Amino acid sequence: MRQFMRSLQLRHVDAGSCNACEQELSALLSKEYDIQQYGIDFVASPRHADALLVTGPVTDTMKTALAKVWEAVPRPRRLVAIGDCAAGCGVCQDAYASHGGVASSLESPDLIIRGCPPTPEHILNQLRRLQWKDGNPNI
Amino acid sequence: MSYLLFKDASGDSWVRTNMKHKMNGNQMLALTGLRGRLLKAHWLTTSGDIAEESLQWEGPGFPSLSRFLPEAAWDEREIHDLFGYVPDGHPELRPLVRTPRWPKTFFPLQDDADSHPHWRDVEPDNPSRIVEGDGVTVMKVGPTHAGIIESGHFVFSIMGENILHLDAHLFQNHRGMEKVLETRLLGQVPALVSRICGADSVSHQFNFVSAVEQLAGRRAPEAVQWDRILLLESERILSHLNDLAQIPAGVGFQVANQRGLAMKEKWQRGLAAIFGHRFLFDTLDFDREILCDKDGLRTLVRSLEQSWSQWRRLVDHHRGFHDRMQGVGVVRQSDAERLGAAGVAARASGLGFDARTLMPLYQGIEVEPARADGGDVEARFQIRLQEVESSVRILKIALDQVSVTSSNSFWQPPCDLSGDVVSYSESPHGLNAHMIRFEDGRIQRYHVRSGAFRNWPVLALAVAGNAVADFPLINKSFELCYSCSDR
Repeated sequence: MRQFMRSLQLRHVDAGSCNACEQELSALLSKEYDIQQYGIDFVASPRHADALLVTGPVTDTMKTALAKVWEAVPRPRRLVAIGDCAAGCGVCQDAYASHGGVASSLESPDLIIRGCPPTPEHILNQLRRLQWKDGNPNI
Repeated sequence: MSYLLFKDASGDSWVRTNMKHKMNGNQMLALTGLRGRLLKAHWLTTSGDIAEESLQWEGPGFPSLSRFLPEAAWDEREIHDLFGYVPDGHPELRPLVRTPRWPKTFFPLQDDADSHPHWRDVEPDNPSRIVEGDGVTVMKVGPTHAGIIESGHFVFSIMGENILHLDAHLFQNHRGMEKVLETRLLGQVPALVSRICGADSVSHQFNFVSAVEQLAGRRAPEAVQWDRILLLESERILSHLNDLAQIPAGVGFQVANQRGLAMKEKWQRGLAAIFGHRFLFDTLDFDREILCDKDGLRTLVRSLEQSWSQWRRLVDHHRGFHDRMQGVGVVRQSDAERLGAAGVAARASGLGFDARTLMPLYQGIEVEPARADGGDVEARFQIRLQEVESSVRILKIALDQVSVTSSNSFWQPPCDLSGDVVSYSESPHGLNAHMIRFEDGRIQRYHVRSGAFRNWPVLALAVAGNAVADFPLINKSFELCYSCSDR
């Protein structure tokens, strides 16, 4: 029964990605990866989320919206950077309208999933680590 | 090259020349702003030539084309935002890319622009264009969304269930890619253009490579050209499979959605094994030797054909699904033409243009543009069905060719490359053009005009009059990339 306590609800925000990371995240919902079987799912509101997934280098226009969404995630919460751009080592790191990743524009992520884009398999494995890592005293 | 010095208030000849291109049935490739109060318009003529018109002027403003050529409206707003050039007589001159956070004097593509401006501490929202009156409600959606999609802010004016007007505030994902490309050496460019957009990456890579080759006067060996066709068509299939799977999701037809996604995943895994990347990033080069596993690709195509025919039967025979798509999100042919619609959206409204018919790369292959004329979600769905099948056919032809041709050439561009050049290709989302200015082997200006950029205003028009609940379906039927237009 204890395994069922480790569900992880995710909210995603695109902060300037090229859409490849989004497609890989969407692939997690297909039957090939079926992320829901691990108790992980994407939710429509940050109020329902345990973790926020951010893609993209954080453009200036998205910076405020991203901060508002992060503020709306109830505590305890986890911040995840998906892909090289969000991790702060993407190709448009130094663009004028980019804030250079999640760490430099919001706060240090709890988990960084590198790759351009990271494969769905890799994202899934890393998210499962987050699920088991900490935050739940009952584990 | 024709420089039309604009000193009087009319600027007639600039407008007239460009109008003439449109009336002759030419396709606008790009309207590009350059430093030094210079504009260039490039047109793809019906015979496949590229015509260039330029305008240089004194004073702050240049004569706007938008009243006569509505498809230039966004281009001119962008030029206004990024250079500070004022299009005189523009019917709707308001910020497109710019937000209230941008410093007033910050024009990123000008020479003296700050590389890291001091953003103003205000909200990024621009004023919206809304409908006012009894019973009209304004509904704002985004920029963050309830699912896994790119960011965009949509302001709907609705009455009851019906959309009266959509004001799409895009460019939330504006990173400043064109500026990032400036001053780069040629070798640094491919990794950047690969990542302008995850869905049209090969098309962007092709445009860069083809631009450099045009300027250097090189014609790639035949084997390399066939290889490029393999990549372009593989990308088209990948992108169309994704979009075809998303449309059934828009009406709750989950079986077709899941099976479509499964086909896409299988295709993507195959591409990763054969070309080394699930989205084909960094795959197209000047002399990418034909290293890919041809037999592997043949097997992959065969396996796609099998699952495809099953999937087609599933969607073809579902009457309810087609009922749901017909008559929704209609774009009339005249509107598609007026707004310069591109790609699937244009072909679904009866405009039979496909840039592959003019691209020198495809000369050895007969490409028949897909046709439909309903202009609705159904028509855009049908166009993609036809195009997946024609891409499979082209892949097979190219695969037969690559096995009989071979290339051992090694070519690198001259390191003092200089000059202006325009290249284009038919991306999965329509005519995609790059206008590049090289100076001593470095990029001096890089302008990207994608099919999605052209189609956003068309989408805004298509949703008016439809139920709000149909917006996701209509949106999915266009499936425009945000990153391609936001850059």
